[in-house]
Amino acid sequence: MNFEAKYIWESLPLLLQGLKLTLIISLSGLLGGFILGLLAGTSRALGGKISKTLSLLFVELIRGTPIMVQVMFIYFALPMVLPLRIDPVTAAIVTIIINSGAYIAEITRGAILSVNKGFKEAGLAMGLSQRNTLRYIIMPLALRRMIPALGNQWIISIKDTSLFIVIGVAELTRQGQEIIAGNFRALEVWSAVALIYLLVTLCLSFLLKRLEKRMHIL
Amino acid sequence: MSMVEFSAVSKHFGTTQVLHDINLKIEAGEVVVIIGPSGSGKSTLLRCINKLETISSGTLLVAGMHLTDPHASESDIRREAGMVFQQFHLFPQMTALENVMFGPLKVRKQNKLAAREEALALLARVGLQDRADHYPAQLSGGQQQRVAIARALAVKPRMMLFDEPTSALDPELRHEVLKVMRSLAEEGMTMIIVTHEIGFARDVASRLIFIDGGTIAEDGAPQQLLNGSSNPRLKTFLQHVS
Repeated sequence: MNFEAKYIWESLPLLLQGLKLTLIISLSGLLGGFILGLLAGTSRALGGKISKTLSLLFVELIRGTPIMVQVMFIYFALPMVLPLRIDPVTAAIVTIIINSGAYIAEITRGAILSVNKGFKEAGLAMGLSQRNTLRYIIMPLALRRMIPALGNQWIISIKDTSLFIVIGVAELTRQGQEIIAGNFRALEVWSAVALIYLLVTLCLSFLLKRLEKRMHIL
Repeated sequence: MSMVEFSAVSKHFGTTQVLHDINLKIEAGEVVVIIGPSGSGKSTLLRCINKLETISSGTLLVAGMHLTDPHASESDIRREAGMVFQQFHLFPQMTALENVMFGPLKVRKQNKLAAREEALALLARVGLQDRADHYPAQLSGGQQQRVAIARALAVKPRMMLFDEPTSALDPELRHEVLKVMRSLAEEGMTMIIVTHEIGFARDVASRLIFIDGGTIAEDGAPQQLLNGSSNPRLKTFLQHVS
């Protein structure tokens, strides 16, 4: 079977539609996961007994189960016990939020714990409150240190959106599969799909590299 | 009112007792140098004053505030006692100027213009007006420590605590820090200094305290203690540091 580029051009409009959905799920999932991860990670590093335990349970539960099982649980199982209907895209976004949130929580915790205790003491010693020491001194340092690991996690999460094929979200991978079901051109279409994912993750890598350069990791 | 008043203060870390029944009164304007072997509890004593360590028993008054009073605000106590650390701990993401402005802005809630002006004046006072826009990583250890002194002074504390301020510095950088501390002492600032700089204690301190095994072993005039103390532990210690 020859590689015929025209099949790529033919399938491009549908693939780009899929890409759009992949980007929507990724961006809202990553943003939400970042916020959730910051909260959970901060409370695990510095919180009281209750919030520490809650975030520990959250991290272990999510980190210890496959993302495919998570999304199917949210999409198929939850509506059986709760009076709500979840559309596939929402289920996908929620899954990315909680899944990347759990990993980002650990990234956050590590970054906070890596900040020299002396900076915190310097802040406290001048009369700054605990909260403001965290806000103005520890977090600005921790956030910089999170950038490389965060980039890693974000790229993983973007690729993980391809697993949502199992609940029928019409994202990039699903579109590719449907095109192939019609034209049987697996070689061209999967190549195109792979290339599109690669382009997206390379763009993100590039942006993160620039951010890292601008921020100086201290 | 005394600046600092320890009454029967003890401090434990777990099962180890690091301070034993400390009684100590420090008045405004005193320049107190604390010496002693490492692990003797001198840094812990200093850190109890601004509540970076909490005392296990006894009472401790700082600028008239009870440190054990649950209603006393830690912030109120701490802003009266500026602290300078062995490792400087300048905030690395801020320039020298921003470091010095930080306390006035966030603790004293001053407006930016006034804070900036005062910070520049303080940097000039420690001889670093031309380094205002440098980041800590771009400064030498001695310069960083001088910025750290300016940063602590910017909050307008009533006393200054120094925790081995020159121990992390090369010998040739120490004098620039000691010079700033000497001028502070001459201006009448109340200072409590944990250090191994015996020369500085002799020339600048108004009072010398020797701590040994978590108790105050000697307390008196520096010249007297340094020249002819009969305390054998102090004698051995002085032989080791000089």
